[in-house]
Order: sequence, then C-alpha cells, then structure tokens
Amino acid sequence: MNTVDVIAVLAAVFLSPLLGGLVAGIDRKVTARLQGRYGPPIFQPFYDVFKLFGKEKMVVNYWQIFCAYMYLAANILTVVLLALQSDLLLIFFVLAVGGVFLVIGALAAESPYSQVGAQRELIQMLTYEPLIILVFVGIFLETGSFKISQIVATYHQPLLISLPLLFVVLGYAIVIKLRKSPFDISTSHHAHQELVKGVMTEYSGPYLGVIEISHWYETVFILGLCALFWHTNYIWMSVLVVLTYFGEVLVDNITARLTWRWMLPHAWTGGLLMSFANYFWIYAKLK
Amino acid sequence: MVEGLVGVSILLPCIAGLLCFLIKSPGTRSAIIVTTGAILTISALMLFNIGPCTYTPHTILGIDVNLLITVADFALLFIILGIAFKLGNPLVVILTLLQIVPLAYFELKMAPHVEVSPAFYIDRLALIMNLIISIVGSLICIFGIRYMEEHEHHLHLKKSRQPRFFFFLVLFLGAMNGLVFSNNLLWLYFFWEVTTFCSFMLIGHDRTEIAIRNATRALWMNMTGGVAFVAAIIAIYYKTNSVEYLSLQTLINHSPELTGFLLLPFALLCFAGFTKSAQVPFQSWLCGAMVAPTPVSALLHSSTMVKAGVYLVVRLAPGFQGTYLSTMVATFGAFTFLTASALAVNMSNGKKILAYSTIANLGLIIACAGINTPAAIIAAVLLIIFHAVSKGLLFLCVGTIEHAIGSRDIEDMRGLYNSMPAVSRITIIGILTMMLPPFGALMSKWMAIEAAANIPWVVVMVALGSGLTVLFWARWAGLFVSGPQLKQQEVKKESALKATLMTMFRGFYPNAKWKDPASIKVPLVLLAIGAIVLSMAVPWIYTILVEPVVSSYRPGLFVEPFKTGPFGLTSGVGAFYVLPVFIVSIIAYLLAVVASQKGGHRVISAPYMCGEHYPDPTQPKFRSHMNSWRDYLAGNVYLHEFIGEDKISYWINILSLIILIVMFGEVVR
Repeated sequence: MNTVDVIAVLAAVFLSPLLGGLVAGIDRKVTARLQGRYGPPIFQPFYDVFKLFGKEKMVVNYWQIFCAYMYLAANILTVVLLALQSDLLLIFFVLAVGGVFLVIGALAAESPYSQVGAQRELIQMLTYEPLIILVFVGIFLETGSFKISQIVATYHQPLLISLPLLFVVLGYAIVIKLRKSPFDISTSHHAHQELVKGVMTEYSGPYLGVIEISHWYETVFILGLCALFWHTNYIWMSVLVVLTYFGEVLVDNITARLTWRWMLPHAWTGGLLMSFANYFWIYAKLK
Repeated sequence: MVEGLVGVSILLPCIAGLLCFLIKSPGTRSAIIVTTGAILTISALMLFNIGPCTYTPHTILGIDVNLLITVADFALLFIILGIAFKLGNPLVVILTLLQIVPLAYFELKMAPHVEVSPAFYIDRLALIMNLIISIVGSLICIFGIRYMEEHEHHLHLKKSRQPRFFFFLVLFLGAMNGLVFSNNLLWLYFFWEVTTFCSFMLIGHDRTEIAIRNATRALWMNMTGGVAFVAAIIAIYYKTNSVEYLSLQTLINHSPELTGFLLLPFALLCFAGFTKSAQVPFQSWLCGAMVAPTPVSALLHSSTMVKAGVYLVVRLAPGFQGTYLSTMVATFGAFTFLTASALAVNMSNGKKILAYSTIANLGLIIACAGINTPAAIIAAVLLIIFHAVSKGLLFLCVGTIEHAIGSRDIEDMRGLYNSMPAVSRITIIGILTMMLPPFGALMSKWMAIEAAANIPWVVVMVALGSGLTVLFWARWAGLFVSGPQLKQQEVKKESALKATLMTMFRGFYPNAKWKDPASIKVPLVLLAIGAIVLSMAVPWIYTILVEPVVSSYRPGLFVEPFKTGPFGLTSGVGAFYVLPVFIVSIIAYLLAVVASQKGGHRVISAPYMCGEHYPDPTQPKFRSHMNSWRDYLAGNVYLHEFIGEDKISYWINILSLIILIVMFGEVVR
C-alpha cells in the first residue's frame, strides 16, 4: 500500500460523510426551492445528526443496533474500495451487504411498518441489483476490465460516449437505490409515507444517526459511480455528477410514488432492453 | 497404499452399510457409522496427501472386477425392473428395458470384454470430490443417527426401519466415491445407477403415498439420464469404432479432428448430468425428494447425489471447449440458475427454498462448465466445494428446527432466535455464507459473472438470478431475529473483549442453553466452522486444490487465469481481495457486537403501532376499534402474482425443453 492509497482510504473514510451530508443539505435546499419553500440551511443534515446523537438510546431489539453498525461498516467499505479503484463487482457485492443488514435490522423489530418496509426494500434491491451488474458488464465489454484502476489506466475516452444507454440504466438504478420518488417505496425522506418511515420506523436517536451517516456514504458511492462515466476530465466529471444528481432531485420532486408491482417489471424490461441495445452497439463497433 | 485407500473409500461404506443392515442393536450401529465416517475422512485426507494417481484393480477375492461390475450392473437393472413392475409403472419399465437391452447388446455383441486402463483415474478434481463426500457425507450420516431416532419416535413405528435406512445412506458414500474415481465409462455408469437406486429407496423410505410417488418420479427422471448414458457409451463406440474412448481421459483429451464425431456422446452425457443434477425441466424430482427424512435431503441432494451430475459435466467440459455445445450448456445452466432462483423466491417451505437454491447453484456450476474458460472451471469447482458445505449445514439446521417446532415453513421461524439461539445463529451463518462476501459461495459467483461477461445473454440471466437469491436469503435470515426483546440483557462487569468473545459464541442471550445431543451439535458446529474457515482460506485452497485441477485439464492450453497473492486472487479482468475484506469484516463485526453489547442507559421499547399497545410487549397486539385488542402479523412477499410456482413452472419446462432440443438438434446435425 503506497501513500496515495493511504490518503485515498483516509479521504474515503473521513471526507465522504462530510461530502454526503453536504449533498443531502443541498438536496433539501433544492427540493424546497422546487416546492416554493425557503428550505433549511445547507448544514441542516449535520445539525439533525448531532441532535440524534444526543437523544436517548431506544430500540425494540438489540439486533437493530448490530445491524445499524454493519450497515455503516459495509457502506464505508464500499466507498473505501471505490477510492482504492478496486474491482467493480466486488464493490457491488460489498454494497449488497449493507442492504442486507438494513433489511435484517428492519425485520428484527416486529412492527408491521418496518416489516413491510423491509419486504419492499428487498424488492427494491432485487430491482436495482441486476441493473447495476448489467452496467458493470457493459463497462467490461467496452474497456476489457472490471478493475477501476485498470480502466482508468488503459481507457482514455469518457465512458459516457460509448455507454449512453447504460448511463440511463444506471440513473434508473440510482433513483431506486437512493429511494427517491417515484421509488421511495420502502422508506421516504419526505414525511408522507403510508408506511410511517418503512425500514427505518423502529430506528431512533443515535442509531438513526448511524443509519443517516451510512446513507451519506452510500450517496458518495453513487456519485462516484457516475463520475466513472467521465473519468478523463475532472471538470466534465463534476458537471456530469452535478447534472445527474440534479436530475435525480428533479425526478424526486415531480413524480408521485409508484408501487413495486409497477417498478419491478418496468425497471427490468426497460433496463434489459437498453442494456442489450448498448451491448449490440459495443459489438457493432468492435466488428 | 493407493490401492488400499481406494478400496477403503469404495468398499468400506458397502461393508459398513451391510453391517448396519444386519446388526439390529442401535448402539453398535451408531458405533459403526461413526467409525466408518472417521476412517473415510482419514482415508480421503491421506489420499489427498498422496496426490493424483491411477489404479486398476484386476481381481477382488479372485473374481475379475470387470466381470463383477458387469454382473452387478445387470443385477441392479433387473432389480429396478422388478421394482418397476411392482410399482406398476410402465414408464419406468420402458426406461429400464431401454437400458438393459442396448447394454446387453453392447456388452455381449458389440464390444465384449472392455478393458480400460487405468480403471480409476484419480486427479485433483476426483480428490476434491472424495474429500467432500467423505467429510460432509460422514458428518451428515452421524447427524442422521440421532435424527432418525427422533424421526421414528414421531412416527410411532413398531419395528425400526433404521437398519435399511442406514444401509442405503452409507452405501451411497461408497457409490459416490466409486463414481468420482472411475475412468472406465462402464464402471462410472454402474456407480451412477447405484446412486439412482439408493436415492429411490431413501426418498421412499417413509412409505407414505406421497413418498412413494415422489420416489417413483425421481426414479424415472434419473432413469432417463441412465438411458442417455447408455446411448452415449454406444455412440462413442459406434463413432470411433474403438473401446479406447470409453476411458474418460482419452475421451476428453481426444484429438481435435474427432470433436465433431464426439459431440453427440458429450451432449448425451451432459444430458445425463442434467437429470442427475435436477436441472429444469427435471427439477420436480429434487423438490419432491424433500419428503424424505432430512439426512437424505442433506446427503443426497446437497452434497453428493446432485453433485455427481455437475461433476460429470465439469469433468467433460474441456472435451467440448469452444464448440456450439459448450455455449448451449452455458445457456442451459444460466437459464436453470435464473428460473430456479425465481421459484425459490416463491417458496415459504424452508426445505423447498433450499432445494430450489441447490438447483440454482448447480445450474450456475453447469453454466460455468459451459463457459469453459479456465477461470470459469475454477469458479465451478469452488462453487462445488462451498455449496456442499454451506448447503449441507443448512439442511441439517432446517431438520433440527423442524424437530423442535414441528414445521419447516419459514414464516414459523419468525423470532426463533428467542427460543433456539444456538441453532438460529448457525443457520444464519449458513445463510450468510451462501450470499455475502467475503464468503466462498459468493466469491465463486463473482468469478462466474466475470467469466460469463463475454456471453451477454448468459450474464444477464446470472445477474437477474443473483438479485433473486439475495431476496430469499436475506428475508430468511431476518426472520430468525424478528420479534420482541424477550428479556433484558444482563450487564455484567466484563471486559469488552470477553463480552465480545462470549457474544460471538453464545449470542445475545448467554443464558439460553443448547440442549441437543452431541451427534446433532457436532456436525452443525463443524460444518459452520468449516463454512467460515474454508472461505477465509480461499487463496490457499485455490493454490492447493483448484489451480491444479485446471492445469491438469488440458496440458499446454492452460493460461493461469488468477494469481494468488498475499491479498487474495487477482485476475486479468478483476480482483477480489479476500483477506483484507475478511479482516475488515471481522473488525466491523466485532465493533458492531461491542456497540450492541455496551452497557449504559438503554430503553427497550415496544414497536411503533400507530395506536395503543398491549401492556405485555411480547404479545403483538394493539388497541383497535371498539377498544378491542387485535393481533397483527406481517408476512413475506412471495411475488405469487409474477412468479407463482404453478404459473411459471409450465413455461419454464417448455422453454428448457426447447433449449435442450436446440442443443441436440444442432449436435445431431
């Protein structure tokens, strides 16, 4: 491990929550403006989490605490592996660990809200996981490697140019992964869910704070994935990431929640068709 | 030395089985089973230590072995014919005759006195299989001792039928060892039929109507494979006009110009493998087999019997590398992986979830064999190893739970952690080792996806199937811990390290004792430890076991796909840092345990109910209309409307038949 790697790991562990929290703050501000409100200060997510850590510790079942920390650990590891430019599929599988523990934590509490939330979260995972694998396979077909370090070293052209449809698929998957409307099915960051707070219903106080911080890591990871599509130039990379995230916020605000019965077949069909179209394009170019 | 060990691996289980059958004393029988297991394990380890070898036995007690096996083969087929008449099942009769007549014609008329040298070709793949069969199989047999006692106690049998049960169970290990060692296709066929026969007897063991029906189904489906096997033997001889190619090694390392001629026999043998591994459209026999007592499910249908099918396909794979058949095998396997995973999501019966997940994993192994690159073959072999351990463990867990709570439905396992913490914890370990990194099963899946990436439709099916597997495993693991916090944690003044260690081994309820007898505890604990330790040791397993498997496949053609380094495996296309991820996972696990164990002020609350709670938080009730107390229960989503078993099974069977027809159509042409 050289110095660069050490710095990357440290940045991933310590800077990502700051960045993630900031993104959450901007998200809330933009959302408020879109809804014609003034909105909270940009640092509001940090104030919220500090406040959560000062609250009384309260759980239904000790497993929740265990699962909250496993969720955090998996998400930190995901970002670290991304910063180390590791294997895309490996990163993806570690990401799945976090999702699984979030679900187990929600199932640990016997409340019907968190139980139903957990089931829905599982279906959301079921929907976006294959899509993300398909995107990674597309990246492999184009660049010949699953390893980010190798892609960055050997492929000198923005991925977006040859994988535009897969970027759309990724965008689709991100909306589901970040649980933004119209796919805020398992839980919602707006206070208007029919399931109370879905998977997070039974989390409160410091443990909710842990989940919140984990979510920031998750956001950073997602942004990192988007950044991969324009790895050749930092300015365009930033533009792409900002535009993508703004797009997600916009979609979040102009759509109403759908059911998983709509989401699963549509996301799979659309995702598959677009992936295949893009694969064919890659093959056609090779020929 | 080799002769002795091979003899022990194959003949000892047969003799021990006979002894189990003849000796009626349960104590002696248990002693025989445990001793046999121990000897088999030691012999497998010693044989592994010797390494690849060959051996051709000529006579046993003065009788020619070839003759002996031929006679035994026909005797077995006639026994099955007799059973078929007794069952009054014309299909089985026809399928048996379709084997007896061609085989008799072949042995008497076409090619009498086939001598294949070496008769036993024991390479690394065979040694790995031998280790799995001998160790996992023996542990399952030992588990069976106590299990069957309770099982018969539940059934109120007047006369114990355990001698018969253990006869077939132990005999099975011998047949499997013979199967993986055989190089002579005729011998392989004999052992193949023995496993079919044993599984028929074991599935129908309880003699209930449904048991007999499912056993019959297993019999005819496997007999279809047997017919294909005989056809393959005759086709090989017919096409090459030489008995030389009845040696598996010659068959695989044939000269390139023969590939076109040999595709049909390869396809037929793969088909035999598909039936034995219960691939779609033959999945129903494996699911039906779940009526048998749990040791049968665990032994025949997770670690051995079904592994015979994938073993054969993986063994043959280098022989049809780069052909059309190979692509079709990959497609077929991936299709099975996807559909069986979808069906598993649909199940609430724990054993059926395991059954479908087994079929799915076998499909993935077959897909890897079809992808047929060294990396893919490595993925297949690793998957065979890790799946055998984790799945064997899970079957035993479900069996133990079933005896305790009288149900195998996962909805009934809700909150089981409160009453059976130890078994629940081991089951959760089993589930996590099947689905999450850094455990071996997932690592094999990762390798499979990277290997499949060049065949888009295969990788799509694997990706979708992989998402489905996460769904049914995560849900099941979560159900175990669901429920109220039964009692307050006793906060003792212990060091954090001690508390952590205590929690690792005894969970959040240090007071709950594990009451099961040793013959149930030992296999569970050993398999659970095995599942974790094997995963940690992946880089070493890779160097010791798997890499030589592939390099012995096609000398000269082999390009080392992965490099083992101190941090795990790296390949040209990807990297999987096993050890760092493992270390980080363990640290995270320990920190999470410490965080949840830590003392201090903490409130255990009742779950949020959007209304008033029942005073006793352990009772799931809330105040509803008219001031009445109402129960509540949330169930799992099984996606019936999309993928109900009754709805899609038909289409799955049709589609898989089409794939098979396309596969054969092109090969025959």
